[in-house]
Amino acid sequence: MIVADILFDGLFAAVAAVGFGAISDPPMRAFPYIAVLAAVGHALRYCLMTWAGIDISTATLCASLVIGLGSLWLGGRIYCPTTVLSIPALLPMVPGIYAYKTVFALIMLMQHTADPEVARHYMEAFLLNATVAFSVIFMLAVGSTIPIVLFSRRAFSLTRRRDYSES
Amino acid sequence: MKTSEELTELLDFIAEYATYLLGSGVHTSRVVRNACRIGASQGVEVHLTTFQRTTILTLREEGNPQVVTQVVNIPHLPISFERNSDLSSLSWEAVDRRLPLSVIREKYRQLIARPRMDPIFVLLVVGLANASFCRLFDGDWIASGIVFTSTLAGFAAKQQLLKAGVNHFIVFILSAFIASLCASMSLRFDCTAETAIATSVLYLVPGVPLINGVIDIVEGHILIGCSRLINALLLILCIAVGLSINLLLIKGSLL
Repeated sequence: MIVADILFDGLFAAVAAVGFGAISDPPMRAFPYIAVLAAVGHALRYCLMTWAGIDISTATLCASLVIGLGSLWLGGRIYCPTTVLSIPALLPMVPGIYAYKTVFALIMLMQHTADPEVARHYMEAFLLNATVAFSVIFMLAVGSTIPIVLFSRRAFSLTRRRDYSES
Repeated sequence: MKTSEELTELLDFIAEYATYLLGSGVHTSRVVRNACRIGASQGVEVHLTTFQRTTILTLREEGNPQVVTQVVNIPHLPISFERNSDLSSLSWEAVDRRLPLSVIREKYRQLIARPRMDPIFVLLVVGLANASFCRLFDGDWIASGIVFTSTLAGFAAKQQLLKAGVNHFIVFILSAFIASLCASMSLRFDCTAETAIATSVLYLVPGVPLINGVIDIVEGHILIGCSRLINALLLILCIAVGLSINLLLIKGSLL
């Protein structure tokens, strides 16, 4: 059952990454790699949060590091810069639900300004969700950038072809 | 040594190349590296500074007293990772094969003329993606189905409105409103309605500028990184406005 949970999590993340990635017009050859990276990253985050008891932003940092390293490794094979693989693969981890809850809490707060007790409850919900949403987005970008900074020489020459006979 | 006409011709091309990349959603340090590489293939140094709407470029050649500078507007283009990969490869090819400017320009024209992904295909996969997103957030199958339908409606509206040239803030508000309104029908069913309404607008979240913005900041291009983030935040605010209009209509059923 646990294995099925992890597999389904990876599968849905892969579909989400390919779909949201398609909005940004990636090359067709990149789709399989995007799907694999997204599945591995999201499933890793799911495992860390469910069984290792790690909080969402640290788990996101681990997952985005793996995606960043993976895109550095795979990007050279299909002449794609790291961001072309890593950004679509990160999209399923963008904290949309927390952003939604932030907005919802803000609306409810404005509806209950006359009642301090209820207003305080929504204020707390607003702060909590906004903090989580912001820290997760920050970790997504930082985690995927660390490999580029560490291995900059390789990261900057992924699109360089070794032979030009085909073109 | 190049004449001032040759330098200007080269500058015109590099300016077009760099602004095309910036308009297509490539992060700043890559644009700078690619532009410098194209310059290096022609034996000139390129210095470039960029803002959200304009780029300033300077070209100079070793031992040449002529220095040319230009301020260019960045075009509004849809984000394209394919252009990002192809044009980056072009800059390497220019250096490695020492291509003359005319050949680089010809290859550039061919690359940017390549067709983009079919809009109908994009529409369908975005619908599927948002439906799986709903599953990831513990929505049930009914909720996922509703999210799929609402995403189709919202994203199709976005595509048509953008094609009609409507202001993109208005497009985001309308598209978020349409998608969340369609998703509100989940309140009629026995399913995870709140998850369905929340996920129905997530296809609009500008993930690429958000991540690009942080990458730019981390890499030291702080000013343009902040501009990108502010731009993305404005779009998120528009999604929130569209969603809020709908939530105000239905909030009685959500509590």
